[in-house]
Amino acid sequence: MEITLTVNGTEHTVQVEPRTLLVHVIRETLSMTGTHIGCDTSSCGACTILVNGRSAKSCTLLAVQANGAEIITVEGLATTEGLHPIQEGFHLNHALHCGFCTPGVMLRAVELLEKNPNPTEEEIRWGISGNLCRCTGYNNIVKAIQWASAKMQNKELPSTEPEFV
Amino acid sequence: MIQCKTSKAIGGMGHSKKRKEDARFIQGKGTYVDDVKLPGMLHMDIVRSPYAYAKIKNIDASKALEIPGVIAVVTGKDLEKYNLHWMPTLMSDTQMVLPTDTVMYQSQEVAAVIATDRYIARDGKEAVRVDYEPMTPIIDPFESLAPEAPVLRDDKEGKTDNHIWHWEVGDKEKTDAIFDNAEVTISQQMHIPRIHVASIETCGCVASYNKVENHLTMYMTTQAPHAIRTVIALVAGHVGLTEEKIRVISPDIGGGFGGKVPVYPGYVIAIAVSFLTGAPIKWIEDRSENLQADSFARDYHITAEMAGTKEGKILATRFKVLADHGYTDASANPSKFPTGLFSIGTGSYDYGAAYMEADAVYTNKPPGGVAYRCSFRVTEAVHAIERINDKFAKKVGKDPAQ
Ligand code: FES
Ligand code: FES
Repeated sequence: MEITLTVNGTEHTVQVEPRTLLVHVIRETLSMTGTHIGCDTSSCGACTILVNGRSAKSCTLLAVQANGAEIITVEGLATTEGLHPIQEGFHLNHALHCGFCTPGVMLRAVELLEKNPNPTEEEIRWGISGNLCRCTGYNNIVKAIQWASAKMQNKELPSTEPEFV
Repeated sequence: MIQCKTSKAIGGMGHSKKRKEDARFIQGKGTYVDDVKLPGMLHMDIVRSPYAYAKIKNIDASKALEIPGVIAVVTGKDLEKYNLHWMPTLMSDTQMVLPTDTVMYQSQEVAAVIATDRYIARDGKEAVRVDYEPMTPIIDPFESLAPEAPVLRDDKEGKTDNHIWHWEVGDKEKTDAIFDNAEVTISQQMHIPRIHVASIETCGCVASYNKVENHLTMYMTTQAPHAIRTVIALVAGHVGLTEEKIRVISPDIGGGFGGKVPVYPGYVIAIAVSFLTGAPIKWIEDRSENLQADSFARDYHITAEMAGTKEGKILATRFKVLADHGYTDASANPSKFPTGLFSIGTGSYDYGAAYMEADAVYTNKPPGGVAYRCSFRVTEAVHAIERINDKFAKKVGKDPAQ
């Protein structure tokens, strides 16, 4: 079957089987390997992308379901102007370790901040509850999202230096 | 509040240091093993046993081989021709690469399907028919030691029980004497159950054998590339793959926690198939395979005791341990025995004497014991020692911290 997808602003027409998963089209046919597969059962969120602006687990979508869709993957976050605030936030706040879950969590956070630019910590924790991180733990991920939220609203940026207790 | 902080110009202490690898990870430019693509690469998927203990009566691959794109189905009998069906473990035990007659745990590798694409390999796997004769598995290590229990490792000549090793350390006589005369003794039984690390990236590899140069390049999610190279040479040295002909590349790893130390059968099958076909072979396990078959941590049954005075002075400790290793001992402790159990178990308090003994047994479970610092059994020791300390403190009416 032939489908057309716009991925990070570029239109691609590809041949797929009816059963082909969207994540495999992105990773294998289009060779964008930043989207990862951690479980293939909708549990971990490592494969999260934006489909028409909504975060979705691409391991559980058939490629044909995304025919005609606008897709954003981690490769589409940075622009010629520089990194997306969420990427900067993750780096500055040590919100990643192995980096395997990171693209999925960042894309989920992008949607979260779009809908709720100034989320509370609880809203962030609920918001990313579909994404598992096995290494870092969630404290720094929450801080990174708070940092990006401040940056995107041109607010004063939270410190990223260690706290002394 | 003391601030250990160097000046900004010096940096270092008290300053957050930014990681160099972040740049690629936050932009989706990392290279994890499933991102490796080589020209002519074939895909492998593994047929696994639904039974924990069964005889294999027959493997019929004919339907799978009819599927366009399925290149081969490899069984234990095929590997046996090259003497590649068994491999050594780091504990001088042996582990099946693919079984020739018996499966020893649920989800054990039974056959491998090689195909031109991931989906076709999966179709092939569904089409392989295996006839099993199920047997009653032993999953309890205490039952495994019972005299009437069947001998699980009947592949080992002269083996008459399911006992693997006995280890003891410390001063038994002195410890027993202290216990016999102590004012207060306590005992606690505990089972620290099996757990799985579940790193977010599952295990996998791309095995690429170059026939012309007789050289193997192995891309794999491994935490121990050097040890892995040695093991590969031990398994495949007799077909010409000695250490200097093997290169192990461990690219970015999606978490390991010890679960990416062992040599899983899938790696060896991929190497064998690449060796025979000359094509690079990619094998990436899925999450259910990873959780069912890969290395575990813990599974220790401990009886821990403490002796002391009424005033709360600790005098001695004694451990008796039953270690469930699954069907083969595939831990990775250089000392052969779980020495951390003793050194950590006796490390935190001032004991006059200590004695520990451990026995390892076979059961119908996957092998491993290499995860979360598990081979040394450090965590088990910490848990046991603090638990009996709490219990002792309660008995003598003191705060455990005193
Ligand atoms: S790979 Fe899609 S949710 Fe885990
Ligand atoms: S950084 Fe490794 S799983 Fe999140």
